[in-house]
Amino acid sequence: MTAARGAVPPAQEPTRARLVDRHLVVPFVLLILCFAAWGAAANLTDILVGVFRTVFDMSNFQSSLVQFAYYGAYFTLAIPAAVITRRFGYKAGVLTGLGLAAFGGLLFIPASQLLVYEFFLLALFTLAAGLSILETSANPFVIAMGPEASSTQRLNLAQAFNPVGANIGVLLGAVLILPSLTSEAAKTIMSSEELRQSQEQDLALVLKPYLGIALVLVLIWLLIAFRKMDVATPAGVEEVPVPTGSVGSRLWANRHYRYGVIAQFFNVAAQTCTWTFTILYAQDVVGISPGDAGWYLQASLILFLVSRFVMTWLLGLFRPTLLLFIMAVFGVVCCLVAVFSLNLLGLLAVVAISASLSLMFPTIYGVALLGLGDDAKFGAAGLVMAILGGALLPMVHAAVMDIAGPALGFVVPGACLAVVAWYAVFDLRTNRSGGEQLATVV
Amino acid sequence: MSNRQRSQGRAPRRLVAMGGAMLLLGLGLAACGDDTERVTVGLITKQEDNPFWVTMREVAQDTADDNNVELLTATGESDVDVDAQVDALEQMTEDGADGILIAPTDSEDVVPAIEAAREEGVIVIAVDTPTEPESAVDALFATDNFAAGELIGQYARARADEEGIEPAIAMLDLAPGIASGQLRREGFLEGFGIPEDDPQIVGSVDTEGDEDKGRAAMEELLTSNEDINIVYTVNEPVAFGAIDALEEAGTSMDDVIVVSVDGGCDAIKNGVRPGSIDATAQQYPENMAREGVLAIAEAARGGDEPSGYLDTGLRLITGDPVADVPSEDVPFGVRNCWGD
Repeated sequence: MTAARGAVPPAQEPTRARLVDRHLVVPFVLLILCFAAWGAAANLTDILVGVFRTVFDMSNFQSSLVQFAYYGAYFTLAIPAAVITRRFGYKAGVLTGLGLAAFGGLLFIPASQLLVYEFFLLALFTLAAGLSILETSANPFVIAMGPEASSTQRLNLAQAFNPVGANIGVLLGAVLILPSLTSEAAKTIMSSEELRQSQEQDLALVLKPYLGIALVLVLIWLLIAFRKMDVATPAGVEEVPVPTGSVGSRLWANRHYRYGVIAQFFNVAAQTCTWTFTILYAQDVVGISPGDAGWYLQASLILFLVSRFVMTWLLGLFRPTLLLFIMAVFGVVCCLVAVFSLNLLGLLAVVAISASLSLMFPTIYGVALLGLGDDAKFGAAGLVMAILGGALLPMVHAAVMDIAGPALGFVVPGACLAVVAWYAVFDLRTNRSGGEQLATVV
Repeated sequence: MSNRQRSQGRAPRRLVAMGGAMLLLGLGLAACGDDTERVTVGLITKQEDNPFWVTMREVAQDTADDNNVELLTATGESDVDVDAQVDALEQMTEDGADGILIAPTDSEDVVPAIEAAREEGVIVIAVDTPTEPESAVDALFATDNFAAGELIGQYARARADEEGIEPAIAMLDLAPGIASGQLRREGFLEGFGIPEDDPQIVGSVDTEGDEDKGRAAMEELLTSNEDINIVYTVNEPVAFGAIDALEEAGTSMDDVIVVSVDGGCDAIKNGVRPGSIDATAQQYPENMAREGVLAIAEAARGGDEPSGYLDTGLRLITGDPVADVPSEDVPFGVRNCWGD
C-alpha cells in the first residue's frame, strides 16, 4: 500500500532526537528514493489502462486487467513479503523487492517487442510484486534507522516522498506517453503494416518511463547491496504478526474491525477506480485530448495531497468519523455529478473525488484498530490486504463502462464511497471514545 | 570533520544530483533532435471560427512543430471568400512556401491562382473540397463523401429492417451543383438500396447546410407527409434543425431514424449520445492536415511528390449499432470529434 493510496503515518510525537543514525544517512536517502519509486510506478499504472485500450484496441474491461495485475500482485505478495523480511532481515527484503521490481521493469523490453498484452500484464505483476516486498521491508527498515523517539518523524519524512513519486509517475505519463500516442483518427487510414508500426511506436513510449524506473531501481539496488547497514530492531518496530486462531476470532468478533476491513476494501476500490478512469472520463465523455487528459489526473493527485493537510487540520476540530461521513457523502455526490453531468463540470467532479478520498485510508485504519491492543498488529495486516479492492472493483467499473457508457461507470466508486459513509455512521452510532486519538493518525 | 563524516555529508547531495540527472535523462529521451531540412508549408482554410477548420489548423501546426516545418496560415472571411484565398496563395508563394494546402471556397475561381503558384514550383494539395478540374492541384486529400452517404444509408436500411418499418424517407440535401452534397445523397441512396426515383422517398429539399433551413425544410415535408420515419440530412446542423421540427410536430424521436454526416463534437455529444441523431458518418480534418503537411515536407526534401486522391477516413458513430454495418461507439466519436 502506497502513501498516495493512503499509507498510515503514525501518530506525531514531539521529539528532539536525531532523525537518522549518522552511518545510515545514505541508506535512508536511498530508501526515500524507493518510496518515491513505488509511488511513481503505482500512478503510472493508472495511465496505462487507457493507453493499452487504444494500442491494443480492446474493451475497458480488458484494459482494466492492468490494475488487477498490479494490485493483485500487491495483495498476493503481502504475506510472503512479510515472511521474507522477518526471516532474512530488512536489507534482504529491500534488495529482493528492488531486484524483482527492476526485473519487472526490464520485462517491458521484451513485452514491447512482442506486442503481446499478456506479457505487459506479467511485467506489471512482477514489478508490483517487487514493490510489495520493497514496501513491506522499507517501512520497518526506516523506523529502525534511528532512535525510537524520532521513528515517527523519520517514517513521515520518508512517506512524504511517496506522493511526490506518485505525481512524478503521472507527469511521466502525461509528458512522455499520452501526447505522442497515435490518434485513433490517424489509424482509420492506416494499412495493417502501418497499424503494426504505430503499435510498436506507442508501446515504445510505454517502455521509456518503465525502463527509467527499472534503471533507477537497479542503481539503488547496487548502492544498497554494497553498503554495510547494521540496524537493530528497536522496540516498537512492527514485527510480522503471526495469526493465531484466537486472535482471528477476536478480530472477527469486533464489528469495528470487521466492518473496517470492508470499508477499507471499498475505499481502496473507490480510489483506484477514480484514478484509473479519470483520464478515460476526460477523453470519452468530455472529449479532452489524450495529451491534456493526463493533467486532470495530475490535478487529482495534487488535490489529494493538499486535502491531506487540510483534513489533518479539520480532524482537530471534528470527530474523525463525522468528517469521514461528510467527505464520503461529498464523494458520492461528486460521483453522481460525474454520472449525470456529461461535460467539464462532470470531469471537475471526478477530480474533486480525490479531496474526499484524502482522509479515508488513515481514518478507517485508525477507527478499525482502536482499542485492539496487541491484536492490532495482525489486524493492521488485514486492513492493508484490503488493497484487494483496488484489484477487483476497477474491473467492475470497466464492465459498467462497456455496457452502459463511460460516465455511468462512476456509480461504482459512488457505491464504494457509500459503503465508507455507512461505516462512518456505524461508528458514530456506537458511541466509542477515542476521537482525539484518531485525530493524530492522519 | 573526519573523512567518514565528510563522505556522509556529500553522499546525499551526490545521490540527489544523480537522481536529478536520471530524471532529466528520462525526460530528454522524449525530446529527440531534428536535423532535417527546414520546409515551409502554407495552409489556407475557408474561415476562422468553424471548429472543422480550427482543428485542421491546430493539427497542421502540431505536425509542423514536430517535423521541422514552418507553417504559414491564412483564412477567408467566410465559406465563399475567394479573394482572400487568392491573395493568400500569392503571398505564400512570394514568401517561399514549398507547398500549400488549400480548402477551396470556390472550386473553379481559385484555380488560376493555384496554377500560378504551381508554375512557381509550389506543390498544391486541395483538402476537404476538390477543385474543378481536379487536375488543377497535385493531389486531393479529402473525405470520400459518397462512402459517407453510403455508410449512413446502409445503417438506415438495417435499422428499418430490424424495426420492421415501412420506410418514408425525407431527404434534406445541400444545394444543386455542390459536389460533396450530391455525392452524399447518391451514396445514401446506394447504401439504402433504392434508386433516385424510388417512391419511398417522400420528398427532397435543399437546405444549404443551414440549421434554420433544415428546420423549415422538415416542417415543409411534415405538412404533406406526417408519417416520415427516416430522415437523411446532409450535415449535422441540418439534422438538428430537422429534429427541432420533428419534436415540435409531436413526433417521438424513437419513431424516426435520423442519419447525418460530419462527426463534429456538438452533434456527437448532443445528438448521437442522447440518441436524437441515430448515426453519423464522422470525417477527420486532422488527417487532412497531418497527411498534407507530411506529404509536402517529404516531397520538398526529395521524396515522392503527392498525387491523386487520399481518402482521409470515415467511421460510422452510433449508440445503436446494427449487424453487418461496421460502426464505432459514442465514446470513440467523442474522442475523435472536432470542436468543443
